[in-house]
Amino acid sequence: MIEITSTPIVLIIVLGIAGVILPIISITRKNVSSKLYGAISLAVLISSILFVIYQLTSSAILSSFSEDVLTVDLLGDLFAISMLLVAIMTTVGSFDFIRKKSYSSIYFSLILLSTIGMVLVAYSTDLVMLFVAWELMSIPTYILAGFLKKNPSSNEAALKYFLFGALSSAIIIYGISITYGITGSTNISEVIRVFSTIDAEMLPLALLAVSMFIAGFGFKMGLVPFHMWLPDTYEGSPPTITALLAAGTKKAGFAAAIRIIIIGTIALNFDWTLALGIIAIMTMTIGNIAAIMQKNLTRMLAYSSIGHAGYILIGLATYPLSNIGLQGSLFHIINHAVMKCAAFIAVTGIIITIKTTYIDKIKGLGVRMPITALGLTISLLALAGVPPLNGFWSKLMLFGAALDAGSTYSWIYWLAIAGVLNSALSLAYYGWVIRKMYFEGDRTISIKEPKSIISVMIFSILFIVGVGVYPDLIIQFTEKIIFQLTMALN
Amino acid sequence: MNNTLIDFVIVSITLLSIGIYGLAVKRNAIRMLFAIEIIINAANLNLISFARFLPHSSGQTLALFSIAIAAAEVAVGLALIIVAYRMYKNVDIAEFRSLKG
Repeated sequence: MIEITSTPIVLIIVLGIAGVILPIISITRKNVSSKLYGAISLAVLISSILFVIYQLTSSAILSSFSEDVLTVDLLGDLFAISMLLVAIMTTVGSFDFIRKKSYSSIYFSLILLSTIGMVLVAYSTDLVMLFVAWELMSIPTYILAGFLKKNPSSNEAALKYFLFGALSSAIIIYGISITYGITGSTNISEVIRVFSTIDAEMLPLALLAVSMFIAGFGFKMGLVPFHMWLPDTYEGSPPTITALLAAGTKKAGFAAAIRIIIIGTIALNFDWTLALGIIAIMTMTIGNIAAIMQKNLTRMLAYSSIGHAGYILIGLATYPLSNIGLQGSLFHIINHAVMKCAAFIAVTGIIITIKTTYIDKIKGLGVRMPITALGLTISLLALAGVPPLNGFWSKLMLFGAALDAGSTYSWIYWLAIAGVLNSALSLAYYGWVIRKMYFEGDRTISIKEPKSIISVMIFSILFIVGVGVYPDLIIQFTEKIIFQLTMALN
Repeated sequence: MNNTLIDFVIVSITLLSIGIYGLAVKRNAIRMLFAIEIIINAANLNLISFARFLPHSSGQTLALFSIAIAAAEVAVGLALIIVAYRMYKNVDIAEFRSLKG
């Protein structure tokens, strides 16, 4: 039985109360500055992340699967820490963006509610809980994507995001209903137990259920046949919300995928490596090739985010063959969350000051906004996987895993080759942005950079370089996670 | 009543097909929203009928949750569609072209 003081329960209570109180304050007291709401939600998020770290070091870690709807395991803790980190970066980055706009209390409250959903997706061990958490994560983001009511592109982004998001949850609930029909239970450990001894005549139905999970979660992850909504939504939404979507909800999709898809596929004893491998290659290639042709920085980053989903999928595709792959996936999930969030917060800074994100218009940004440009440059280099930065290590682990698994199926070498070629390709368009910022443009009028953006940039530069110089801590942590998952499966 | 499980499953699969057809063919946002609703209701029908024939009844719990969540989702979706209609005087998503690459 899960205790009331365990991590997920306390997070629900703390974040939920804060999320409900913020709109109440805005109703009962007029003329409250938006800074107050931001400060409250920031304080709550920072205390939650400290609480998660404290619980991680002090209290007992439960098994990865339990009879309950929630568990407290290392995988959940890792995702909880990275989601809360993303929520903190988004909240701080929103301070200056949301200042002149109305309904700022609702904005911060919806970010908090969505964060609860993301954290619970990572901790849930029951399909009912997973579905409820998934919707708790998604529904606030539909509203947030359309938060700029007077802006046509924000409306369009929100509507497209909503239609595809609702479709993804409809597919997930249909998959859950089939799984429940086959196994007679919604608990994931029970599902795995029944799946591993499934009759041959039930196998096609189980495969259909797992395919529906891949499709449903794939919509949020932005895998290639399901990625049509992603560039439009990322471009049209408020840029801070794009940071939350790219770094938060997308990674929650991977959390659910690791719990259900990977484990379900192992239990089914059916070879999914080829299917996931093809999706991975298509996702990274299409994402990176489309990114080259973009003239808009936000849209370019959106396509590059599709490409990175492909890299992360390498680890999921090679999991039963090579443990390093899933480790690399987890590492790349954290890294990509911070890098992409930093890049989109830098874009927020550019939108606040220059009001445009066309790459041609950001000439000379390195002189005009030095800290934002430095943060953007570091995060772009880390996304491309340049050696001393954190993105290099996680990509190295992913491609190394593909080489390792290639001894079983020789075509898996192509995953590593495609990954390396795509990384080289991505350096081309990231380098183009960096060249525009530092080596072009002669206007040297400096622009006052918003303080909130500067603080996020400094934090992310420290994180990216720090993890790049000393990656052992996170790598050892991911190793423990894989060990725990493998123990729970046997 | 002597309906068997397969009857319910056939109705559910029919509803799923209708929903997918609606999503694939229609470009009106409200029609698409209702196609999605039909898929969710197909899943609910599945859950309830499986729960009728299985020893556990946790499927009915999930169906209740799913109905409540679908209601919240529709509320948000219709609000978004109304805001978009005020701006474009239209709910055809093929007409929304402010974003393209």
